[in-house]
Amino acid sequence: MAGSSEKKEHYTSMCRMCDNRCGINVYVENGCIVEITGLKEHKWNHGRLCVKGRLGVDLVNAPDRILKPLKRVGSEWEEIDLDQAYDEIAERIKKVQATWGNRAMGVWKGEALGFLTQEQLSRRFIHAIGSPNYFSNDSQCFVSRWIGYALVTGDWATQDFINSDCAVIWGSNPPYSQPNLTQSILKGRKKGGKLIVIDVRLSAIARQADEFIQILPGTDGALALGFARQLIEDDTICHTFIEKYTLGYETYARYVKEFTPERVEKETGIPAAKVVQLARLIGACRPRVCIYAGNGLEHHENGINNIRAIACLDGLLGNLDEVGGNFTAEKPNLRNISLYEEKPLRHLGPIGADKFPVLYDFRQECHTMSVMDTILNETPYPLKGMILGGANPALTNPNTRKVIKALKSLDLFVVREIFMTETAELADYVLPGATYLEQSELHVHPIHQIIGLSPEIVTFPDCDNEYIFWKKLASRLGVEDYFPWENKDALNKWLLKDTEITVEKLFNHPEGYEYKPRRFHKYREKELPTPSGKFEFVSSYLKKYGYPYLPEYIPPTYMNEPDPDYPYILVTGARKVFYTHGRNRNFKRCRTAIPGPDIEIHPIDAEKLEVKTGDVVTVTSTVGSMDIPVKVVHSSNILPGVTQITHGWKESNVNLITHDDRNDPISGFPLMKSVEVKIERKAVNVNN
Amino acid sequence: MQVVIIGNSAAGLSGLEAFRKKDQSSSVTIVTREGEVPYSKVLLPYYLLGKIPYANLFTRDKNYYARLNAKCITGNVVKLLPEQQAVLLESGTLLPYDKLLIATGSSPVKPPIPGLSGKGIYHLWTLADVENLAPYYNKGKRVVVLGSGFVSLQGAWAALSRGLDVSVIELMDRIMPRVLDDHAAALLATRMIKSGVDLRINTFTREIERTGDEKLVLHFKNGKSLTSDFIIVGTGVRPNIEFTAGTGLKIDAGIVVNKQMETTLPGVYAAGDVAQVPSASGGDPVVHALWPTAIETGSIAGTAMASGNSRYRGSLNMNVTQMFDITVASMGEFMDIEGSESWTDENLPEDQYLKIVLKDGVPIGAICAGGSELISTLGMLRPLIREKVQLQGNPGMLKALLASNIAQHQQTFIKQ
Amino acid sequence: MRFITMDVTKCVVCRNCEYACSFQQTGDFRREDSNIRVEYYDDVKICLPLTCMHCDDSWCLEICPASAITRNVKTGAIEINSERCAGCKMCILACPFGNIHFDKINMVSRKCNLCEGEPNCVSFCISGALQYTESKNSYQNNRQIFQRFIENL
Ligand SMILES: Cc1cc2nc3c(=O)[nH]c(=O)nc-3n(C[C@H](O)[C@H](O)[C@H](O)COP(=O)(O)OP(=O)(O)OC[C@H]3O[C@@H](n4cnc5c(N)ncnc54)[C@H](O)[C@@H]3O)c2cc1C
Ligand code: SF4
Repeated sequence: MAGSSEKKEHYTSMCRMCDNRCGINVYVENGCIVEITGLKEHKWNHGRLCVKGRLGVDLVNAPDRILKPLKRVGSEWEEIDLDQAYDEIAERIKKVQATWGNRAMGVWKGEALGFLTQEQLSRRFIHAIGSPNYFSNDSQCFVSRWIGYALVTGDWATQDFINSDCAVIWGSNPPYSQPNLTQSILKGRKKGGKLIVIDVRLSAIARQADEFIQILPGTDGALALGFARQLIEDDTICHTFIEKYTLGYETYARYVKEFTPERVEKETGIPAAKVVQLARLIGACRPRVCIYAGNGLEHHENGINNIRAIACLDGLLGNLDEVGGNFTAEKPNLRNISLYEEKPLRHLGPIGADKFPVLYDFRQECHTMSVMDTILNETPYPLKGMILGGANPALTNPNTRKVIKALKSLDLFVVREIFMTETAELADYVLPGATYLEQSELHVHPIHQIIGLSPEIVTFPDCDNEYIFWKKLASRLGVEDYFPWENKDALNKWLLKDTEITVEKLFNHPEGYEYKPRRFHKYREKELPTPSGKFEFVSSYLKKYGYPYLPEYIPPTYMNEPDPDYPYILVTGARKVFYTHGRNRNFKRCRTAIPGPDIEIHPIDAEKLEVKTGDVVTVTSTVGSMDIPVKVVHSSNILPGVTQITHGWKESNVNLITHDDRNDPISGFPLMKSVEVKIERKAVNVNN
Repeated sequence: MQVVIIGNSAAGLSGLEAFRKKDQSSSVTIVTREGEVPYSKVLLPYYLLGKIPYANLFTRDKNYYARLNAKCITGNVVKLLPEQQAVLLESGTLLPYDKLLIATGSSPVKPPIPGLSGKGIYHLWTLADVENLAPYYNKGKRVVVLGSGFVSLQGAWAALSRGLDVSVIELMDRIMPRVLDDHAAALLATRMIKSGVDLRINTFTREIERTGDEKLVLHFKNGKSLTSDFIIVGTGVRPNIEFTAGTGLKIDAGIVVNKQMETTLPGVYAAGDVAQVPSASGGDPVVHALWPTAIETGSIAGTAMASGNSRYRGSLNMNVTQMFDITVASMGEFMDIEGSESWTDENLPEDQYLKIVLKDGVPIGAICAGGSELISTLGMLRPLIREKVQLQGNPGMLKALLASNIAQHQQTFIKQ
Repeated sequence: MRFITMDVTKCVVCRNCEYACSFQQTGDFRREDSNIRVEYYDDVKICLPLTCMHCDDSWCLEICPASAITRNVKTGAIEINSERCAGCKMCILACPFGNIHFDKINMVSRKCNLCEGEPNCVSFCISGALQYTESKNSYQNNRQIFQRFIENL
């Protein structure tokens, strides 16, 4: 992957094979991207990449890329001219609007095509054509952590791991999901910091943990409240912060009293003494404590309150906006291109905003699980057209059967994609998308308060970039005024207009341009962006909606009302090093390394089920069932009774059995990480 | 000082190189009765196999001696003259020495089977042998290999791979008696037979008959016979010591040496296949006709001749080869002996085998058959065997154990 | 000389290095093709990345009967010339760290060659466990280190 690079043209950019956006060198030869290496000077990754980073070359040059617009004719695809595609799509949008009203149209943003600007552009477009229905993968990824933290602190902080005395990685496996974050976590540890990993599985990061705490799925809130109780009892809390900057401490302190170590042990499976010991360890390190809450906390019925409970620890420890703690980064003053202020459309009833108003309040995001029901039942009103870009809900949203049925029944389904995904196969039109190497975009790394610009490095004739796509469509729908910029460069310049940052500056700073030096303790000067301006142990805002005032703990259903027919707990979604959600399965080399799906099973369960690694089992939930080969893991990897399946495999799609309608009541997040299942042995070893 | 080295193979060259590390000025003369450009015996089967080209048999370049400020001459040493401190070449030249290294290796022996000589009957031992054999290594030819030792089987494997019909005749009831234990030998024999080798154990060859059409017929004691185009004889070797006769040099199974490779004659050293050297186990001295031993002992001798400090820690028996799609390796005392206990890896599939032999908790040998990854384990064991280090805990945890210790040392290194 | 150092307190056994090394050589992500090997020992909870330490007195170099192993004068790497390697596996048996592997397709031994001074395993190490650093206290006396190591067993 090294190799000489004299003859080649050299660009610097940022990787988008996951959301880490590591600095990269991109080498082009004869108009083709031939090599991607880590950019030494970039502040995020210091020249290091994960193997996915190099796969950018595979992505952009993939032989199975969609390079021509496709139109469904019966059961076949027909290649059509790009302009014709835009014309036809525009006509059909108009028809949907004329027949069913503007709000019958929706857009759906995925992750595979772009980042911040992509999101903003889709939001802008859908509002421009008069519909509030913006959907995205976010409504089942990270947003509930964002909301959980924002409810308490007004923002979701990033972690200053390098300077931390104690890092708590809670429900996350950075080596696979945010690879280069691992560098800073372990640098902090090398300097003497402690590393605590709380997870259902012994993840990659757990291998280096000073303390690895194996917790029962969905019980994290109890542990957080138990920590709180212990911290208070030991008086290892930050009184100044509590007195001056928080709201509802007394109520909260009273509530957490219930969470004695013994109670926590009962709820979480973690020995009482361990709970005390950990709380003391964390308490002793305050305020230089980083707590990172991962995706593992989200897909539960009590997700938001569990996250709130964890967020509240920041208030006790005083680690908020602290060196070596949870740092609230300042953002660059970029212009906003969404139209929520200019053209608010909440009165049109964004789908799911009635059921999950908090999701809409905080994120202006519709609820992707509800949209399936809306499409199928036309309630509260019909939704008939959808433009989806770089997402694959047919694989990654819960309850696959319903998703497929719903998307198939749309009057107009347009997908912008790089590959023929399971979702694209359901579309009426598939337009070729541009990868991150084919369009310029602004990227912010909050932890370093740096901003960078990824350039357009190569282009393919029919693969319009995100901006041009929306602009072309807008102009055919009579809303071209909303897309006045000539191209993405002009748009980027406009976005930067209120700052002293210029495009040239960004190009001169491939390492990341520091838009503002980091400052800590900003809450001392300026109120926190919560309704009370304080750190909220309690939330009147939530109470107003009828949600719990306190970060209340409710045990998961599998504990509260165990169903003997479904005795195993299935966790889904643990990442693999090569695969970002549904992506990269079409790259042959990845399949060499990790050829296919499996269900991770504890040796005791394997014995009970009489299965070996390689045997196929049928996994059934109340939603459906699926077949998958077994992987018996080491007894330390997972708890008996708990199993794990990684999502994104079409050959064993776990979302066939996950729940779209058992949601966290506040964020609407689906139940995907403590699904009650039964497991039956199906056939003996497929590999033989 | 005048130094003479007889032999320009593993031991001789290793001796030269070690000597030159300590002494750059003394004059060094190397005598060889084969070509001056050294070749490697180990590679001979790989040439027959077609794996490497002829040119790659030669392991040093033309300027090698000049670089080491040494002279190499061709000649057959016929007499050692200790009183005169000189060796006599067949040509009549007398080479005086202050220090002499005998690194003349060994030569194969032929069993006393009537008819076992002449055209079509060869050893697989020297470059000349291989030059004789090469024209026969053609598809469709038939070869009979007499003996199932390490080198014989390599010859058989090369022949089979080149499309020859191969028969292997072994007098005993199993193959590779000195290199493998019964289990490993059985695994290998199974593979051989599966690959198409006609393996005959317990077979005594009575005589060889030549037919009019240049074929050779082997008649066995069991009444059976076998026709062949050529025969490879691999039934043991003996040290090349004829020229030392009558000198009083002490000889046992090979030239007797001490830990500095000094023989019983002043100024005379011996190394390699020709020498009987201390054994790693501390037991009786041994003649290990092995490449690593030749390299090690040559180097010890070279250093000692330059008055350097060197003491041989003893030769450790080690063999490895891959043939017939299976890798076999053995090291040290791999046979169960009195007072030893052995541990076999039960987690391996049936066609793989790893056994470690321990005595009082100290690993003394190991053997494996199967995939090449197993050899790494033997490699990691080697220093433990050499240093007689007690192995704590279950040998099944061997890799993890070694790992944790390597880990510790990496840590000390990183901290430095 | 610069060395690849392996920090067992940072490695998380993500295997990016193995895949990167394999890719460098074969274009595929096949662990068996990698010259660096990473192992997680569940029972003792040890993460161990291991790759060639380019010892001063290299066991493998000394023993190679094909003179296929040499030291690269520029990078100091101990390298196997696969043209010359006959595949006899003696080097695999000689390395006390298990750092030489056999390439079954080409029937030759393979080992780390420091990628001409820019080792890929390091560039793809996301934990920071692998570093490519200049060091005087290198593994130069690997045999001594090993000596200490076995004494501690
Ligand atoms: C086909 C084959 C495969 C082998 N494979 C392996 C293997 O895989 N592993 C292993 O460990 N070992 C193997 N061996 C054994 C290994 O090659 C020997 O142990 C090693 O070569 C011994 O080295 P040496 O220097 O002692 O003697 P030799 O290599 O035998 O060299 C002797 C030298 O002395 C010279 N010489 C001898 N007599 C005289 C004289 N009278 N006058 C002048 N010069 C003389 C010869 O010309 C030659 O240069 C193999 C051997 C053979 C033949
Ligand atoms: S961690 Fe890997 S995929 Fe993610 S941005 Fe960095 S190199 Fe790309």
